[in-house]
Amino acid sequence: MSASWISPPTRTELIENLVSGVDRYNPSNVGILEDYLYHQIRSQEYDCLANLAILKLYQFNSDLYNPDVVVNILIKALGASPLPDFNLCISLLDERSPNASLDEPDPLPALLPVLHGLHHLLYRCRFPAFWRAYRSDQLESLRDNYTVECAGFEDSIREVVIRAVKSTFTRIGTDRLGLYLDLDSPEELQAYVAKLGWTFNSEGTVVSIPPNPDNQIEAVVVQESIKLPQLTKVISQAARP
Amino acid sequence: MSRPTLWSTADMDEDLADAVDAELSLYVQQGQNPAIYDQLGAQIEQLEPLLAIQQHMAALAAVPDVVKSFIVSFHQAILNRDLPSITIFYTTTFPKLTDRFYSRTEWPEPETIAPLLSSNEATEDQIHIFLVLYRDLYYRHVYSRLHPNIDDRFHSYENSCELFNYLLNSPSSADDNSDEPAPVDLVLPEQWLWDIIDEFIYQFQVFCSWRSKVKSKTGDELMMLADGTGVWSSYSVLNVLYSLIQKSKINEFIVALKEEQGKESARSAEEVAKSISPYTALPLYRTLGYFSVLGLLRVHVLLGDFTLALKVMDQVGEFLLGGSGFGAKANKSSFTALPTLPATHISTHYYVGFCYMMLRRYPDAIRTFVTVLNFLQRMQRMRNYSGYERKDQYDQIAKTADRTLALYAMCHSLVLPGSPFTRLDDNITSTAKERYGDQMGRMSKGGSDALAAFEELFLYACPKFINANSPPYDDPDAIALLLSADPTEPAEGSPIPTDPTQRHLRLFLASAGAQSPLPTLRSFLHLYTSLTTEKLSSFLDLVKVSESDQETVEEAEEEAIQEMMVLKQNSRSLSRIVPAQGRSEKGNDASPAGLTVIGTLLEGEMISTSDLNFVIDDNTIHIAESTVGRRYAGWFIKNTERSQRVLDEIRGSPLPVFKGKVGQKQGASGTVAPGAESVAINDSAEAAQKKAPTKTVAWGGAGTRTTLDA
Repeated sequence: MSASWISPPTRTELIENLVSGVDRYNPSNVGILEDYLYHQIRSQEYDCLANLAILKLYQFNSDLYNPDVVVNILIKALGASPLPDFNLCISLLDERSPNASLDEPDPLPALLPVLHGLHHLLYRCRFPAFWRAYRSDQLESLRDNYTVECAGFEDSIREVVIRAVKSTFTRIGTDRLGLYLDLDSPEELQAYVAKLGWTFNSEGTVVSIPPNPDNQIEAVVVQESIKLPQLTKVISQAARP
Repeated sequence: MSRPTLWSTADMDEDLADAVDAELSLYVQQGQNPAIYDQLGAQIEQLEPLLAIQQHMAALAAVPDVVKSFIVSFHQAILNRDLPSITIFYTTTFPKLTDRFYSRTEWPEPETIAPLLSSNEATEDQIHIFLVLYRDLYYRHVYSRLHPNIDDRFHSYENSCELFNYLLNSPSSADDNSDEPAPVDLVLPEQWLWDIIDEFIYQFQVFCSWRSKVKSKTGDELMMLADGTGVWSSYSVLNVLYSLIQKSKINEFIVALKEEQGKESARSAEEVAKSISPYTALPLYRTLGYFSVLGLLRVHVLLGDFTLALKVMDQVGEFLLGGSGFGAKANKSSFTALPTLPATHISTHYYVGFCYMMLRRYPDAIRTFVTVLNFLQRMQRMRNYSGYERKDQYDQIAKTADRTLALYAMCHSLVLPGSPFTRLDDNITSTAKERYGDQMGRMSKGGSDALAAFEELFLYACPKFINANSPPYDDPDAIALLLSADPTEPAEGSPIPTDPTQRHLRLFLASAGAQSPLPTLRSFLHLYTSLTTEKLSSFLDLVKVSESDQETVEEAEEEAIQEMMVLKQNSRSLSRIVPAQGRSEKGNDASPAGLTVIGTLLEGEMISTSDLNFVIDDNTIHIAESTVGRRYAGWFIKNTERSQRVLDEIRGSPLPVFKGKVGQKQGASGTVAPGAESVAINDSAEAAQKKAPTKTVAWGGAGTRTTLDA
């Protein structure tokens, strides 16, 4: 899983060179990386390291700063929970001088606590609370301006949910699953579950999750394994009369 | 009545005014004759350097003789490329002289000592280079013992730039007509090279933190900062480090070394180096390139970019941190091509471990810290290790070690205890408990107390983060705005704390805080093999079971289940070192000795870090616990070997000689049992081959066997 996070298969060679080389510091390359971000947004891909490269360029050249780009990056990072992507992005947001040259007022300071809150809810697996907060009126501006453009944002959040559910449950109640996934109508839920390959039980009240390394548990006794080379000295001493 | 001013002729007598006017006109006439002034000016100019020289001579005379001779011989050693004496001068003589003469003041200015150097046969260039190196030592002393002012900071930056320029871009010698820069013919001890890079980054860090304190600047400083925006800029620092890496091709070198390892007729490290580039062939550049990679790691951590920090260590990390059979520990002799100073070891492990910690990869962080802390403990036992007679350097290492221990303590509390795969080192844990026992106790319990303890240790142990950009000194309005901002009022609408340390602290506390309810949860799970969620939520005191309000019961249950998901999530972690998949059936052993290591520092696979595994089946929780079997092999083997050693020793040692009757008895008993003696002799011949068989090793015979026979 980690290898694809470091170097996603959807990354082109051009971007690969930019991210891995010294060219990432060249301010004129920020346009290429921003275009790549918008490509990710439209086609439901995600490339963490390339987005971090954008933030680093903003760190060094504060005149390149574009708050919309930053918000989009953070939104994308929400879908990577529980990986630390969101935290890494925040680490790179340095302070900026108050007299920055922007045409419109900077939306980032207002949105940031909101995004922090959403991330925290996801990290603590409080999924119903997350959906409630997300659908609330307060976040309408977030929904209208940003997440609506991000294709499959809700699906990527659902993937976060599925990751958590998959590792913890072998069977989960249908209602509970629907609550976590924010799929109200039974048809939607059934369609989603079918896409995942999970099965319902006969009454349709419980969903079974196929076995994976995380949800198969067994009690293991970690025995010490004594190897022959460790014993050579003792054996050779015993061989002497 | 005010005093008459000299020049307001209106207040004066007419006569006097005329006289003054006449005088003034005389001067005006003279002024219209520029030649006189030129002459005067020329005379003054001639005098000025003489004056300066006089000042310098006076200063030079004030320099003690010991110091003068030191400088001259130091210069000579550098000219002769005499590495051992340069090393001695640098590591011992310089600190001694500093302590003796200059513990509170600066060393003599470079201009002052310049006349001393012309006594050796050296070209202008060589003198110049020596002065650059001398200035490096001079400014380092200023930064460490005294308080640098803004001039010092600017000058030290220029000096460093000059030094690196010389190393990277000096034109090739006269024979070679190409325009390519050629490697420089200079030899410096490794310790000095590390100190150059270390100091460069340290000065950068100190400058950045000084620069961000806008309010405490004087008017002059503000002006100088406004003009000098290029000084100590992040781009130039990164540029230097990247250029050194590229010039010395250190990464290609390591890759080539790795390839050579597998081959049968492996070339030596030097040959490999020569085949890559003329720069790589010189130890000076190889060392500098290698140290620059480590420096880059540090700079990226200071700027808050943890993944990039680990990424630049791609090749070097495998080499230094080992794990793929290609480590600095394994075949040290074959890798003398790259130096391993204790200072670099510790610094690198500290930063790599910190990166892992911020990436929430606690097992990897713990592993890194344990490696370096073990190394340090061993080193402390050998205190007279060469290169460590410098007390100030040892102090710095001790301080870093302390901070590493604090980070270890934090990670220890964050990894849910009891994992069979993390193999927490007991030795280091007990050291950590001694030093930070109070905080560790608080952190393991969870709750708000834990967060306070985490904050305390984090602020102590984290690197001094910096802001990449300076406050806008060149924009007077912005500066005025910053200066006039009320310090007590929180910055408007800035939910990101502007201080980078605070920002990282908040992120870390959020992660740690999410884990604080988990220890209690774990303790309940320990007690059961299966459990209903209702019961669990009642244990957690979220609601009483007898509560009739269905909604609250359901809510509480929901809360409990969500905590369980968090627990599951936290018991999984990315790790670079993965236990080999050895188990197929239930109850089989999972051998901890079978570890595989994955390549670069950023990669890894998910492993389980908890011995408590559970799964939720609709409303029931099934729990399985892994235990570690008793490990007795090591103890038995060690004691067996020890007993054998004692036995051999006793067999091989001569009998204590008693005088008088006892001696006769010995002789008698010796003759009485000749057969037994011969047996004894046979024994001794085998067991202690080095001793001559005629030695009095009669105890084996005389002692036990006669009694047995009897």
